[in-house]
Amino acid sequence: MSQIELINIKKNYMGTEVVKGIDVTINEGEFAVIVGPSGCGKSTLLRMIAGLEDISSGELKIGGKLMNNVSPDQREIAMVFQSYALYPHMTVAENIGFALALKKTDKAEINRRVLEAAKMLELEHLLERKPAALSGGQRQRVAIGRAIVKRPKVILFDEPLSNLDAKLRVQMRTELMRLHREFGSTIVYVTHDQVEAMTMAQKIIVLNNGHVAQMGKPMDLYRDPENTFVAQFIGVPKMNLLRGNLQADVFTLQSGQKLQLDCGYRDGSDLQLGVRPEHLKLELLQPGSGSENNSEHSWTVDVVERLGVESFIHLCNAARDVLVLRLEGDCDLQVDSKVAVRFDCSHCYLFNEAGVRLLPNTAALDLVG
Amino acid sequence: MVTLVRPANEETIMTHHASQRRAYLTLVLISLFCLMPFFWVVLAAFDPKASQFLQIPDGITVNHFWNLLANESGVRWVLNSVGIVGTATLLTLILAGFGGYALSRTQAWWKRPLLYAIILVRIVPPPALIVPVYKVMLFLNEWINNLINSLTSDVAQQVVLSRIFSFVDGYLGLILIQTAMQLPLAIWIMKTFFDAIPKDYEEAAALDGASQWQTVRHVLIPLALPGFAAAGLFAFINAWGDFLMPLMFTSSPELQTLPLGMFRAFLRVDAIDYGFLTALAVIYTLPAVIAFAFARKFLTQTFSGGVKG
Ligand SMILES: Nc1ncnc2c1ncn2[C@@H]1O[C@H](COP(=O)(O)OP(=O)(O)OP(=O)(O)O)[C@@H](O)[C@H]1O
Ligand SMILES: [Mg+2]
Repeated sequence: MSQIELINIKKNYMGTEVVKGIDVTINEGEFAVIVGPSGCGKSTLLRMIAGLEDISSGELKIGGKLMNNVSPDQREIAMVFQSYALYPHMTVAENIGFALALKKTDKAEINRRVLEAAKMLELEHLLERKPAALSGGQRQRVAIGRAIVKRPKVILFDEPLSNLDAKLRVQMRTELMRLHREFGSTIVYVTHDQVEAMTMAQKIIVLNNGHVAQMGKPMDLYRDPENTFVAQFIGVPKMNLLRGNLQADVFTLQSGQKLQLDCGYRDGSDLQLGVRPEHLKLELLQPGSGSENNSEHSWTVDVVERLGVESFIHLCNAARDVLVLRLEGDCDLQVDSKVAVRFDCSHCYLFNEAGVRLLPNTAALDLVG
Repeated sequence: MVTLVRPANEETIMTHHASQRRAYLTLVLISLFCLMPFFWVVLAAFDPKASQFLQIPDGITVNHFWNLLANESGVRWVLNSVGIVGTATLLTLILAGFGGYALSRTQAWWKRPLLYAIILVRIVPPPALIVPVYKVMLFLNEWINNLINSLTSDVAQQVVLSRIFSFVDGYLGLILIQTAMQLPLAIWIMKTFFDAIPKDYEEAAALDGASQWQTVRHVLIPLALPGFAAAGLFAFINAWGDFLMPLMFTSSPELQTLPLGMFRAFLRVDAIDYGFLTALAVIYTLPAVIAFAFARKFLTQTFSGGVKG
């Protein structure tokens, strides 16, 4: 009953198109995350779903009903604002119960439901406080309480965690997922943080510059990015991209290094080879073995980031290609030392000049398979 | 090294203390100088033998007040002033609330020109406006009196209605004039206050299912309360002290406001009765003080913590 369908939705602000034709279906009870860089139109899209912004063209359906011209309160949705927008002159209890009070719900019923929501969010002891006397995380929970007390079919979140510190953010993430399990409402969640998207979403919609770059399950986006934008947006650190040419299954980097790609891609020039930091292997060059001077195969260590459980090595080569590589645990590499890198070709992606993913010939795949 | 530094330090602390003492002394003197007239007014108002000199009274009397309120039309003046200024302030707040909100939220091209046009009314000295305003008011007055005469033929009723609704020499005219004079500043104050209220609150209210009126009633007015208090205080005090407009637009003694009454009393009495005048001044000051005390509660009430980021 609360499936959300966006059919070719567009939004113009005085002639400039900021949302450029979006077709998305979010199923009932699904946790969908809209993710993208700043200014790509995420909030605009969410506000159009909420009814706070007019839809320039296209159709919005919720539960199968056309909603373009339905006022926000008739859409049976709730929204948690990035700024929280708690009414500062009301107590926590009044904030949470405001929507019910407007509907002339009877006092006892309001109290019961406010208490129920407060219990769920561990806010019982704060009910008589004003928002000014709450911490950021508590305000956030009040804002969520205000949304769930209405028992809406759809809850919209606009970057709800971006004002919280890192630790609280992790905690709120799990709490939101628990809430979603308990309520089963359809959730549309906007963020620019791909970690939030990967951890919480059942469906990720990657937005770039008003377009859907790709959508699907988190791991599908990670494994099968359709373009360089998604490839670099999903996953930290981002996927490495190296320019070069492909001929007869051999990819030649600008530095001259040649890589053997097994599955038969069509030849081409000006291509980009994508490989994730976690799929690269390091080989120490033995001094005096001769390979040290083989400049086309050697990479120079630029920066080493040690996080304890893993380390990220930033490398560059003679042709100014840069590469980030992930190692388990600590490593004893020195800056400026020379290393060689082994590419795991089964985890390489190929993109054309325009950044669109190229797929190997099926025939060749069959051969490999 | 350390011993060298220490005496210098103590010296600076001492000169610091001395200079602070001097500063406080100066401040006390200045405030005494400013407060002197108030002391005199209050003391003289209760002094049976009030004179133009500041003196400690031999006894305390309320005769001056009694004289003013009972024998003169003091009660009438106070009621007139309170009624006219109070209604005008209320009207100002309502109109400034709507106007300020609209001017805060609109993005139309006429926003700036209109804002400056509004403040222009305030910048032009009121005497420069008197003649055109008087003409407009006379015209309206004729129209309303014709209307009153056509509604009822009872002369007594006509007099009462005309007293209330006349634009010249009537309550309505004075109220409207005062409202018009106070409105520009009030609109600016309210616009500035609404500018500071994020649109998020209204959007949250819309999603909570609040109608326009409910949003105004439960969200906007409470949040704008300090603005209303500031605008209301300015309007009240300005209108309360206004002398020119009541002078121009009233002639009947029954319509006299406090400043007018005070002025006429001053002119009328041959030997200046300081007790009477200071009692009048005390009564004249009182409502402004009350208005301030009332508004202060809201002025200092700031709402924070509702939005972040
Ligand atoms: N009222 C407006 N008038 C004109 N342009 C607007 C308006 N609101 C947003 N925009 C433009 O629309 C684009 C998308 O804005 P939007 O707020 O949806 O971005 P976003 O993806 O939410 O970014 P962020 O992550 O920074 O919140 C931006 O380029 C912005 O400048
Ligand atoms: Mg945004």
